[in-house]
Parts: sequence; structure tokens; C-alpha cells
Amino acid sequence: MICVGCGWNGWPSRAFVANATSIMELFDAVRANLFSPAVLFFALGVFAAVVKSDLRFPEQLYAGLTIYLLVAIGFKGGVAFAAAGFASVWLPASAAILLGALIPLWSYPILRFWGKLSQVDAAAVAAHYGSVSAVTFIAATNYLTAIGQPFENYASAFLAVMESPAILVGVLLDKRTAARAGGSRWEGSLREVMHEALFGRSVVLLVGALVVGALAGAGGMAKVEAFFVTPFQGVLALFLLEMGLVAGRRLGELRKVGVFLLCFGMLMPLLNGLIGVWLGQATGLSLGGAALLGVLAASASYIAAPAAIRLSLPDANPALSLTAALAVTFPFNLTLGIPYCLEVARWLYSS
Amino acid sequence: MISMKLVTIVCEAHARKPLTELLREVGARGWTAFAVEGEGDKGLRLADIPETANIQLQVIVRPEVAATLLERLEKDYFPRYGMIAYASDVQVLRRGKF
Repeated sequence: MICVGCGWNGWPSRAFVANATSIMELFDAVRANLFSPAVLFFALGVFAAVVKSDLRFPEQLYAGLTIYLLVAIGFKGGVAFAAAGFASVWLPASAAILLGALIPLWSYPILRFWGKLSQVDAAAVAAHYGSVSAVTFIAATNYLTAIGQPFENYASAFLAVMESPAILVGVLLDKRTAARAGGSRWEGSLREVMHEALFGRSVVLLVGALVVGALAGAGGMAKVEAFFVTPFQGVLALFLLEMGLVAGRRLGELRKVGVFLLCFGMLMPLLNGLIGVWLGQATGLSLGGAALLGVLAASASYIAAPAAIRLSLPDANPALSLTAALAVTFPFNLTLGIPYCLEVARWLYSS
Repeated sequence: MISMKLVTIVCEAHARKPLTELLREVGARGWTAFAVEGEGDKGLRLADIPETANIQLQVIVRPEVAATLLERLEKDYFPRYGMIAYASDVQVLRRGKF
């Protein structure tokens, strides 16, 4: 997979392809990740869906677990944010916003010209890939904790600020190209898009909990720790079981999205992850923090983006972006993308 | 008893906001929505997460409003959203409610 990624994005052969030790390290990192409870439960979910088990989570439980995870990660990040101070956070946070806004700009032409997607579909998929997946991020923080790799706890602030920019850029991409071509596209007003991108449920929960955490500080954390921190791993395992079911049920739809999106869903994380890690290093994050920024860049949104894009670009086919984000990129990152980003970070920080 | 039209729309949950805006625009005075699941001509609609959930919207309107509503649905909404709609005759009390 690494070889494919390096050849594809044109990186020099100096990359760790030739380095046997690096490959062994990557292999170990992947193995350590695959045997975490989170990933194993995800696999169980996929298995249950594939064998058509009647196991099914109520939709409300999915929504409830999402709320718990977003609030818990946001709150924890907010407390760390307050402790670290704005001075050390603003630079990497600005880089995160920029990265979120820029990813659609190089995704769009790839989707348009190599994938032969229509303008509106390319814009929609680009928005999903620029935006981020909170659960992928959470799984990555878990993985780093498990292998004893320290990272900046305020990294969830990057998660919070990376949800919206890509959605806005994706919508603008389509509106601009549609206007230039003289076509009349469904006129959802820009105000509506802004509202959905900035005040959608996941953004409000994440940013809100971050602010609450920052204001409440360590004293506040002591009060809610028993609920938001201690049971967190268990809730995450339960949620990933459900995510496995959700992704597994959509495996059949992979046939409909086509080979191109399948490859796109696995190769884009490699490219974006590399750029994310590099940007993390350039803005002064630690090795663990840079790996997390890489994971964020590699991930694709399946909560904030689908809702906002469905409202603002209703002409786009939602099955394309949701299936690619949920059934290809999410499992890919959960299993391989996360250790990949860590290895990229180790490589960049050692050279 | 007064004769009115009951318009039923079964659609993806994401269409809820644009649809309720349309209902207000064509002159409906209220609506009812509930979560549903089922199968259509494109196969089973997975209703496991909010992103792919489905709703049924019901609205009782005067016959001429129903005609406008169905026309608008066909023109602007059917091409964009997963959706079916149909009208049926109903007898109502309290005309002022609709």
C-alpha cells in the first residue's frame, strides 16, 4: 500500500519503501492497531452485517452514542486547550483550518478528470474528504495512548475546526463552476449552507463541549470524569460495533460507486495523511500531534458533511460520497491509515 | 364533513427541511412527520443512521393546494431527492384547521 501511495503521489524513492526496518515497524504498528478492542469490535460488526445477523442498533442509540463521544472528546480537548494556552494552539489550529479548506481543491480535479464524476458529485465528494471523521480521530488517540506515544491533548480542537471549512469550499466549488457554465443550480442560499456547516449537530457538540471544557478547566473535569473519561473506551467499543454494522451493510453498494472511488477512498488518505503530518511538524506539533493531524487530514466526514451537502447540493448523488466515506475510507483508516500516519510521523521526525 | 386532500410524501430524512418550507409556501397550515423504513424500486432503504433515515410527511390541504404541491414536487423535488408522493380523498371536521 505504501509503495502504491508513494508512486502515485510522486514522492521520491528516498521514502521508506526501500527501508526494510521501516516496513517491519509499519507491520508491527498495524498489528498493534488491529488487535485493539475498538478495531476488533468493528470487525465483529462487519461480520454480523455480512452474515445478515438480525443484530441491529436502534437509530436513536447510534445518535446517542455519537453525542456522548463528541461531547467527551470535545470536553477533554477543551480542558487541555485551557491548560496549554491559546499561544501554543493557534498556529497548528490555523494550519488545520487551512488544510481542511485546501483538501477539496486538489480532490476536486482528481475526481473530475480521473474519476469522470459530474461537477456536483465531485464537489460533494471533495467536501466529504476535506471534512473530518471524529471517530477516526478518537480511534487514533486511543491507539497512540495504547502504544505509549504522547500527543497534545488539545488536538481535538483541530478536529473541531476542521469539520466546516471543507463543506463551505466544496459548495462554493460547485456553485462557481455551475455559474460559470451558465447552468442554473438549485439555489440553496449561501446563508443556509453556512448555517448548516457552522451549526450542524456535530459542530455544535464538538465546539460547544470544547468551550465548556476550556471554561470549566481541571476542576470541572474532576466533576465529570467518572462519566466522560472512565467509561469512554467501552462506549467507543460499542459504537464501533455499530459502525461495523453500518459499514458492513453498505459493502454491497461498493459495486455501485465503482472502482475509481474505491481506489480514491484508499489512496487519498495516504496523500492527505502525509500532507497533514508534514504540516503538523511544520507548525511545531510533537510527533504524536502531527500523526493526529495526519489522521484528521486522511479521514472523511460521514456525519457533518452528508447533512450539509444534502441540503446545499441536492443534485449530488449522496450514495457516492457516503459509501466512499463510510464503507471505504473509514475502515481503511481505522485499520491501516492510523498506523500509516504514525509511521510517516516517525519517519519525518527522524530525518 | 368537508372533502379535502391528504398528501402523503415518503422521502429521505434530509428532504425534511426543504419540504416543510415548500409546504408553507404553497399554503399548507401544518404537517405531521414520522420515521419510516421500507423498500422501494431501488431496493431496501437502509434506515440505520440519521444520514440515510426515511420519513413520511402527511399534510391535509384544499384540493387546489394539493394540485400545486404535487406539481412543485414533481418539478423540483423528485429529480433531487429519494421520494414518492400521493394524494387521497379525506373527510375532515373543523375546516379552519386546514
